[in-house]
Amino acid sequence: MAIDVARPRIRQPGAPTTRSAGPAVVGALVLVAATLRVLDPQRMAWLQNLLIVFGSLLVEAMPFILLGAAVSAAIEVMVPASAFARLGRLPRALQLPAAAAAGMAFPVCECGSVPVARRLASKGLAPGAAITFMLAAPIVNPVVIASTFVAYRGRDTLWLMVIGRFVLGFAVAMTVGWVIGALKGSRELLRTPAENVAAQTVEGAEPRWRRFAGHLCGDVVFMARFLVIGAFIAAAVQTFVPQSVVDRVAGLPIVSLVAMMLLAFLMSLCSESDAFVAASFVAFGPAAQLAFLVSGPMIDMKLGALYAGTYRRGFLRTATIAIFATTLVFTMWIQVIWG
Amino acid sequence: MTPRWSPSRVWTGLTLAAWAALFWFIQFSGRTSLYLSSRTAWLVPLGGVLATVAAVLRLASARSVRPERLDPRGSWALGVVVLPVVILLAMPPATLGTYAAGRRSGFVGSGVSASQGSMDSGVITLVDVAAAQSSAAGRAALQRRAGEEVTFEGLVTTESDAGPGEFKLTRFIITCCVADATIAQVTVVDAPPGQLQDNEWVSVTGKLYPLGDDIVIDASAVAPIAPPEHPYLTP
Repeated sequence: MAIDVARPRIRQPGAPTTRSAGPAVVGALVLVAATLRVLDPQRMAWLQNLLIVFGSLLVEAMPFILLGAAVSAAIEVMVPASAFARLGRLPRALQLPAAAAAGMAFPVCECGSVPVARRLASKGLAPGAAITFMLAAPIVNPVVIASTFVAYRGRDTLWLMVIGRFVLGFAVAMTVGWVIGALKGSRELLRTPAENVAAQTVEGAEPRWRRFAGHLCGDVVFMARFLVIGAFIAAAVQTFVPQSVVDRVAGLPIVSLVAMMLLAFLMSLCSESDAFVAASFVAFGPAAQLAFLVSGPMIDMKLGALYAGTYRRGFLRTATIAIFATTLVFTMWIQVIWG
Repeated sequence: MTPRWSPSRVWTGLTLAAWAALFWFIQFSGRTSLYLSSRTAWLVPLGGVLATVAAVLRLASARSVRPERLDPRGSWALGVVVLPVVILLAMPPATLGTYAAGRRSGFVGSGVSASQGSMDSGVITLVDVAAAQSSAAGRAALQRRAGEEVTFEGLVTTESDAGPGEFKLTRFIITCCVADATIAQVTVVDAPPGQLQDNEWVSVTGKLYPLGDDIVIDASAVAPIAPPEHPYLTP
C-alpha cells in the first residue's frame, strides 16, 4: 500500500468536483515571503534565531528523509514479501538482536530509519523487530559511534560513553521492541492512520520504476510535513529556553536523568551530532549524559511528529513511555555504579 | 484509456522540485556554511541530487489513466512542505548572534587531545582555547602560554555589567548543523570604549591570560571585519 500526503482521490465519472485550495496555498506562501522581506528578521533577534535553527534542522534532515524513502521504496519494489515473511517466522529471541544488529549497517540519522522500519513492518517483519531496528539504527551505526568517540576524546569517561551508548542503545531498542511486539494488536499500532492513507497512488500494473517513484515521493512528502512541524517546535524551544535552565538539577539523582532525557526530547538533535552537545553538559554525570544520548535518537519533538503521522496514535504514547521507562531503569544502574 | 495529467502527482513533483532548487541554491550561492558544518556540507549536494531525481521521476510518471485530484487538505499539506523553502529563499543571509549566545552552553572539549598538541606550540585558535578549558591538562597547557599574543575573530557580545572597553568575543562552534551550536568565548579588555556594537564582527589581537574559568585577552588592536565565509567553527 502506498501513502501520499497529497491524499489523491480517483475522480469517478460524474462525481462532483471540490474547489481547489491551490490558489489559497500559493497565496499564503507568497504572503509569508513578502512578510519576511518587509519585517527583516535581522531586526528581531528571536525571529532570526528561530528561522536559522528551523532552516538548519531541515537542511540537515531532509537528505536523510530522501535517502530513507529511497531505501524504503527500493525494498517495496525489489524485495519480495516472502523474504520478510521468512524472517518473521524466526523465534522472537533471534529476531530482535538480528534487527538491532542490522541497524549497524544503516548509517543514517533517526529520520531515515522511520520509513524503512514502516516498510519492513508492512512487508511482514514482526512489529517488535521493525521497532527494534528503527530505534537501534540511529545509535549503533558506525558513524554515530565514531562521533561519540570524537566528542569524548580526552575524557576519563571516553570508553564508558562510547561502549555505554552502543550497549544501552542495543538494549533499550530490543527491550522496547519486545514490549511493544508483545502487545495485543502490535501490528495494528504500526499501521498508518486511515486518514493518511491514499485511496491509490501506485497502480499495481505500472512498470517498476513508476512504482518506485510513487513510493519514494509519497514517503518523502508524507514524512516531510511532520518533520517541518517537529523542526519548528524544536527551533522554538531552542530559541526561548536557555540551556542553563537544566544545569540547576545536575546534582540530583534520578531527576538529572529525567532532565537530560527531557532536554534531548526538546532539542531534537541529530544522533550524529548530539554527543558534542551532551559533552558540553559537564555538570551532569555520565549516566545523565547517556540518558540524553540514548533516549534522544529514539524519541524527540520531530520524531514524535513523525511517529504520530506514520503510525496509529497509540504507538506514540506506548513508545514514549517504553523508551523513557527503559532508558531510566538502565541509566539508574549506571548512575549507581559510575555516577 | 488515454493517460492524463494527474494533479496530485504534478504538484508532488513540483514540491520536490522546489526542495531540489533550494538545495542547489544553497550549494551554488555559498550559503551551506550558514546552516551546516564543514563535516556535513556534503548533505546539501546529496539532498540536491536525491530531490532532483525524485522530482524528475514523479513528473515523468505524472500521466496516469486514472488521474488523482488534489483535495484541499492535500494542498495545504504540500504547502507545509514547501514553506521552509520559501522561508529560506526569502530570508537574507544570517548567522546566530548575541541573542543565541545567551542561550547556548559553552563548548567543552570535543577535540581536547587535538588541541593539546597545538597548545604546546603553534598558533592558538579559539577552538583550542575553548577545548582546553574542559580538562586540567588543557588548562595547564593554556597557563604555560599565558602572555603570548593571539589573534581571534568573532562577534562582539556585551554584558550588562561589563566595564568600559570590555566585551565578550564570541564564536559559535557547530558539529553538524546550527541546532547543535555551542559557544566559545573570551573576555576582551582594553578595547576602544564605545566604538563596538553587539553582533559586530571584529578581529582582536592581544595577549592571552587564563584567569580562573575565564580567558582574558588584553587587546592591543581591535578592528571591525566583514563576516567570514565560514561564520561557524568546527571542532
